[in-house]
Amino acid sequence: MKKREQSSVIEIKGLYKDYNSDGLAVHALNGIDLSIKKGEFTAIAGPSGSGKTTLLNIIGGIDRPGRGEVKVAGKNLNGMKRGELSDLRLNSIGFIFQAYNLIPVLTAVENVEYVLLLQGADKKERRERAESILRDVGLERELKRKPAEMSGGQQQRVAVARAMVSNPEIILADEPTANLDQSTGSALLDLMRNLNKERGITFLFSTHDSMVMKRAGRLINLRDGRIVAGKK
Amino acid sequence: MIIYLKLSWRNVWRNKRRSLIVISSIAIGVFFMLISMALVNGMNYQMIDNTISTSLGHVAIHKKGFDDNMKISYSFNADSGIYEGLNNTPGIAGWAPRVKVQGIVRSSEASQGVMITGIEPGKEKGVSDIFNYMLNTDGSEFLDNPAAGDVLISEQLAKKLDVVTGDRIVIMFQDSRDEIAGEALTVRGMFRSPVDSFDKYVIFTGIKKLQKAAGMNDRISEISIRTDTRDESTVVKSGISPFIKDPEVQALTWQEMAPSMMSAIRLYDAMMFIFFGIIFITVIFSVANTMIMAVMERFHEIGVMKCIGTRPLNIFIMIIFEAVNLGLAGMAAGLLAGTVFNVVLGATGIDLSLFSESMRIWGTGSVIYPLIMFKDIAAAAVIVFLTAFLAAIYPAYKAAKIKPLEALNYI
Repeated sequence: MKKREQSSVIEIKGLYKDYNSDGLAVHALNGIDLSIKKGEFTAIAGPSGSGKTTLLNIIGGIDRPGRGEVKVAGKNLNGMKRGELSDLRLNSIGFIFQAYNLIPVLTAVENVEYVLLLQGADKKERRERAESILRDVGLERELKRKPAEMSGGQQQRVAVARAMVSNPEIILADEPTANLDQSTGSALLDLMRNLNKERGITFLFSTHDSMVMKRAGRLINLRDGRIVAGKK
Repeated sequence: MIIYLKLSWRNVWRNKRRSLIVISSIAIGVFFMLISMALVNGMNYQMIDNTISTSLGHVAIHKKGFDDNMKISYSFNADSGIYEGLNNTPGIAGWAPRVKVQGIVRSSEASQGVMITGIEPGKEKGVSDIFNYMLNTDGSEFLDNPAAGDVLISEQLAKKLDVVTGDRIVIMFQDSRDEIAGEALTVRGMFRSPVDSFDKYVIFTGIKKLQKAAGMNDRISEISIRTDTRDESTVVKSGISPFIKDPEVQALTWQEMAPSMMSAIRLYDAMMFIFFGIIFITVIFSVANTMIMAVMERFHEIGVMKCIGTRPLNIFIMIIFEAVNLGLAGMAAGLLAGTVFNVVLGATGIDLSLFSESMRIWGTGSVIYPLIMFKDIAAAAVIVFLTAFLAAIYPAYKAAKIKPLEALNYI
């Protein structure tokens, strides 16, 4: 048990999160206990409103926990200041969004470089690492293209490259294949799985796509803010 | 920081039409600001130069009190020390002694109160532009003999007195014994200067003739000095002052002699700043409005940038850069157009002959030569930069405060 805790990159105990919607209390998360080990490839499944995105947002430091304890990359998120959360997101977490969310005025390589720039890497190193990771995701010919000049699949690959380039401990992906067709989504999943295996990066993603669920190393089912089932 | 410059510059061009409208409005503001400044500079300096070249001189040596009361009793004898100073002080292009007496000029038709100025014709050519303003019609000539009974009057005064070249007029004034003296003089020539008040009230005769008529012996009212450049007046005054031994005699610069003209120039400047204030309040709101729209449009995107680790300060800087980029682009276009326009018009002049009488009242002449100065360009640049910066503070602050969670949920 002790060994498991030591290798956990995400450790959540008794997490609750309530929202106020038009005067009504919405219980988004109702006592989540979850431990994700380093190198896991985990999917969180559940219908809309089950709390998948809220959970990912809290783990990613975008939202604040209500009650309970959340540890990410060894750091307790409870009571962290905004700047500290910002640094955590920059240095320990990579994000992949459903709508890609690349910076539209930057090229593919600049989008990837941007994260390294925030980390203070020098220009040469930034360019080399960004180009290298874009080659790894199969975009060596799209380096100078802006998001509007690429397909959805290509944009999502850039988003994966951006999430990975800083060598984060965890990559959080909110329904990464939702905007992609079946084959592109499948290819993206292959890519993420390979990177997970080769680099040992922990992936945690939300989905309601059965194809994604089948290929996840671990599946966590959420209903009404509670974990109802999990499989290894 | 370079990435935020790059980002901001590219963001500016995401909405080309909107950015071009803002840039154009700034450019037009700067353009008219420069034109206004250059026109006012041109008018001011033409007014100064015309006043200096007709009557004032860059520096003048007077007896104390003469400036306030131009009576013969305020005349003085220029000693050899003053002449030594005039010949040895650097920056002096020319000098000429004058006698000035207030009096009346009469013809058979009319009379007019005037300033009768006695000049040494040869030396006067090196100090004032009267010689250049002489009309060459009807035998009009400049004075040549300082002792002759000749007089120069303006064309305007000649019309009022109904005289022509060769006619006789009478001047009357208070002499050195405070007695009324008179002298009949022949109109030798006529002039037309750009300064209406000068043409109305100043006439010229030979200095020796006037000294004799007024019983002044060799006493003079002033020595008018022309310096190499307008800006050397203070230096020349400082250079010549030690040579003046008589404590009752002093050197004054044109600024000291014409405080009302300096006040008028300061008034022009103040009016210009009010005008600029109006222009830039307009600009500040258009930039602020554009930046607020830009921030709202990119609410989601800015949130994503914050999600991936961008600090609020960097977002703030990016938005400030965007506004400054808009400002700089508008400023560059406005400065370029304004400078070219003013340089061209500075050479050709703007002919305002339609308003020539009004222009003569201001003493500027009917052709205005806009004068663009580096300090004006620098002022425009600083004002635009500050305006853009100030306009962006609020939208940049709002952008920096965007919460990633709200932004991600915002569609």
